[in-house]
Amino acid sequence: MAKTSKKGVKNYTSPVFTRRMYYFLIPALAFFLIFWIYPVLQLFYYSVTDFNGINYDFDFVGMKNYARVLSNGTLTNSMKNTLIYAVMTVCISNIIGLAVAMILNTKIKMKGLFRTCAYFPALFSAIVVGFIWSYVYMPGAGMIANLITMVGGDGAAFNPLGNYKTALFAIAMVEIWKGFGTTMIIYLAGLQTVDESLLEAASIDGCTQWQQIKWVKLPLISSTITINVILSVISGLKAFDYSFIMTNGGPGKSTKTLMFQVYETAFTDQKMGRASAFSVLAFAFIILITVLMLLYMNKKEVEL
Amino acid sequence: MGNKNNETGGASKRTMKKALLYAAVIVFCVIVISPLVIVFSSSLRTPGNQTSPLNLFIEFSGASYAQAFSNMNYPMELLNSIMTTAGSVLCIVIFSTMAAYPIGRIKSKTAKFLYYFFISGLIIPSQMVIVPIAQTLNRLGIPNTRFTPMIMFITCSLPFSVFLFSGFMKGVPVEIEESAYMDGATLPRRFSTVVFPLLQPAIVSCVITQGLWIWNDYFYPMVFISKKAQYSLPVGMLQFLGDKENPAQWNVLFAACVLCALPLILVFLALQKQFVNGIAAGAVKG
Amino acid sequence: MKWNKAVSMLCAAAMTLSMLTGCGAGGGNDEPAEAAGADEEVSAEAKAPADIYDHEAIENAGDITLTMMVSGTAYENDFETEQLPNLVKEKWPNVTLEVTKLPDDNYYTSLKTKLASGECPDIILTQPMYAGQNSCYSMAEAGYLTPLNDLDAVEGRQDLSSVTYKGDIVTLTNSISILGCYYNKDLFAQAGITAEPQSWDEFLEDCKKLQDAGIQPIVMGDKDQYVLQFGLYQLAANEIYSKNPDYDTQLRTGDTSFTDEGTWDTVLEMYKTLYDNNYIDASQSLGYGASQAITDFIDGKAAMTFDGSFNATALTAEGAAGAFERGYFPIPGKEGVYTATCLGAGYSIYSGSDYVDECKELLDYWMDGKSDVWKAYLSTGRTIATYGEGADSTPNYDLFKPFIDLLNEGKGFYWCNQAWPAGTETEMEALFSEMVGGQGTTVEDITQGMQDKFEDLLDD
Repeated sequence: MAKTSKKGVKNYTSPVFTRRMYYFLIPALAFFLIFWIYPVLQLFYYSVTDFNGINYDFDFVGMKNYARVLSNGTLTNSMKNTLIYAVMTVCISNIIGLAVAMILNTKIKMKGLFRTCAYFPALFSAIVVGFIWSYVYMPGAGMIANLITMVGGDGAAFNPLGNYKTALFAIAMVEIWKGFGTTMIIYLAGLQTVDESLLEAASIDGCTQWQQIKWVKLPLISSTITINVILSVISGLKAFDYSFIMTNGGPGKSTKTLMFQVYETAFTDQKMGRASAFSVLAFAFIILITVLMLLYMNKKEVEL
Repeated sequence: MGNKNNETGGASKRTMKKALLYAAVIVFCVIVISPLVIVFSSSLRTPGNQTSPLNLFIEFSGASYAQAFSNMNYPMELLNSIMTTAGSVLCIVIFSTMAAYPIGRIKSKTAKFLYYFFISGLIIPSQMVIVPIAQTLNRLGIPNTRFTPMIMFITCSLPFSVFLFSGFMKGVPVEIEESAYMDGATLPRRFSTVVFPLLQPAIVSCVITQGLWIWNDYFYPMVFISKKAQYSLPVGMLQFLGDKENPAQWNVLFAACVLCALPLILVFLALQKQFVNGIAAGAVKG
Repeated sequence: MKWNKAVSMLCAAAMTLSMLTGCGAGGGNDEPAEAAGADEEVSAEAKAPADIYDHEAIENAGDITLTMMVSGTAYENDFETEQLPNLVKEKWPNVTLEVTKLPDDNYYTSLKTKLASGECPDIILTQPMYAGQNSCYSMAEAGYLTPLNDLDAVEGRQDLSSVTYKGDIVTLTNSISILGCYYNKDLFAQAGITAEPQSWDEFLEDCKKLQDAGIQPIVMGDKDQYVLQFGLYQLAANEIYSKNPDYDTQLRTGDTSFTDEGTWDTVLEMYKTLYDNNYIDASQSLGYGASQAITDFIDGKAAMTFDGSFNATALTAEGAAGAFERGYFPIPGKEGVYTATCLGAGYSIYSGSDYVDECKELLDYWMDGKSDVWKAYLSTGRTIATYGEGADSTPNYDLFKPFIDLLNEGKGFYWCNQAWPAGTETEMEALFSEMVGGQGTTVEDITQGMQDKFEDLLDD
């Protein structure tokens, strides 16, 4: 055996796993540093300048960009929209994903077919999904509007993307439609690791099915829940595609997410400096939420 | 609901419950899949057929496909998509397994730091850094070719892939490697002949999740490619953006949508098991 | 045709603006002396004799590939992406022209990143003055645009001040763009309307008549918020610029403000009337895309839509309602009719291009007023040229005639966003959508928001 440190952890002084192994990092690290970290650092630099995205003759402006972003209301509006969007996508896609996975995990026939159906939307590109749902939501001639008319309702009044109350919810539904299949598959895999004998034991002890789920299944797949929730939190907070393809941030500013606002500040307003400051704050916000979620979920995992 | 009924009502109750369960799953699947069915049915119409798309499968014609096919320059875009995806995924697998090797094996603060360093990249969206990235490429004298989006795909995929492989690496027993070491295998040899093959499930997972994303991404190719001959499928779809609310164009638009997703659908149907296991392995073991 | 008069009006509007902002205009033309006086150094530069480019550049170049990027939606047999490359190939077999056409938002992103990566296409679409994210002033200021003073196609043209930055012509634009109201003559007749409205009150009456006849008066695709500009800019020409042509110039000096009474509050209030009376149905339009509105119009589902000359092809196409007759008029104001008609977007050559002279030769051939490319360009029916063969016989010329007449009478004004820093109009659009969407936003909130955004964008 290799030499172990006091804590019993293998140290890098092990003759098998030497420091020379770090050479293997070179290609990945080179790409990551040059094409990701360096541009991100540049972003930090731009955030204290008045760079407009095209003219490289720019000046240092101190914390002005940050002050502006914090004071002009764009940050709060887009943060609010992003949070609502993220909470919606995280909750709904995890609840549906978990429920469907549980049903499919029982001795049900045609399991494969159902699973395929649920996962199918995940195969489509965001841009294609945007096209399809533009049709589904379209007032008048769209799919849902037509269905409503067919059953005798007022299809013309159905206009989810044109309504302030529903637009954000409508694009979140698109994200859920595309994403829940992946969530479901991950849950299904997690559920399959649950030992049947434990469930039998619980059943013999007189647990109802609901109690079995609550006290046996959920605790056993808690790490799966964590991973699913964190993955959907990250993608929810990075929401951009459907605001961009389907609503362009509207009506008004009701579907402007953090990323959409960054994009608009940088490209429409030509305030690359301010957009950078915005990005830095958004970045901090996303990290904060993710870390808090991770801590909370880990605590839950231990409790369960 | 008392115990008395248990004997007689139990069986029928169970059947009822089962039927309900099936009904729920079927209704759910229909809701999920119905937009896709309508899209598919419309794509089979002639471009001029403007009756409500809800009248499913009233016409079977390849005309809309033919038009979408030529509008998109499909064979070329398909080839570009395949090349970009395959090339990127290959590099991703090689680079990230290599990077995960020391991160997963060496127990030190440096390794731990590198692990979190890579993962932190997960959180940054590409729209945010696109201008500095373009400048960096400019400074390095890297021209806009079909390889430029690949560079970005590889870079953006590293956080997830390194996370995936280093998690998986921990499950690969060290004893095998130690015995290889005893047999005098060099480090690169140990990696390529002992460790790499054992990572196979994670590699499948990486190829599928990252391949899916790269195939469908339109942002980097749109930004970094100027020549039409180098367009990938999703970028080609952008030209239809103005048609999405124009019922007169739907049949062709939907045919284009189907054509764009078709290669993935075929791969998925053929390799369903690998897909499902790959996605699950990535998340559960990672 | 009295083109010169028309264009000199345009010129004057643009001039006054550019003078005060220090972007001196007057690339060698006979502009008033005070323009030169505004910036001594600039005028000296402007008077310098233009170098002559190599008119045989393409012939001597061997096989070359030129790239071009424009914005918009490609139509069938599209001029830019299909006809143009073929015609260029016919003329010069050694030239391959690669044209990319992207939807507006994607165009802007691509353009900016391509500039940042030094990989910009040789020929790009730019807009006059400050309009949009591809405004020629901001791009020229950053040094991305090649001066086009030595093109044959700009010789003797006096209408180019809105694309002239510090004495250099940076965008070759040859066409006029119009904003107006397309209408369905059949539906107008059905509602008993016999003539085009000549005043705002008449316009409202006509809307009422249409509504009473069970016809939706106006359809707009407000989900694509930029279409709000189509109506608002016409009203601004009527109510603001007709009274004070220097309004925007004075905005920059602080002499006027968006919040001034009788300016934007009037315009916004007028446009809001259309929504208040349901002539435009906000509950519908806010979820309608621009192309869906066009479809509804050609399907005969609404009597009018506000749109630009650039969409004429789509708006005159046959839809479910067949080939009904269409008209196009400027939305009338409370006191007289003015029009938002001005020089449109044009083509610029990227200063980092390897083929500057070749591109110049190509643009010269295209815009010479008689070549095959020129003819194909005009026959798109979206272009209203200011010179050259067939300029007054283009497919939709009859539709455009009333606007051109107004322009000749000095009643044409530029589009507001050409004078504003990009982003001001998006704030206006978002706030206006909020107001008609019942979010409690008031006209005062909008003008204040516009003023804040305007000041904010200028402050750097």
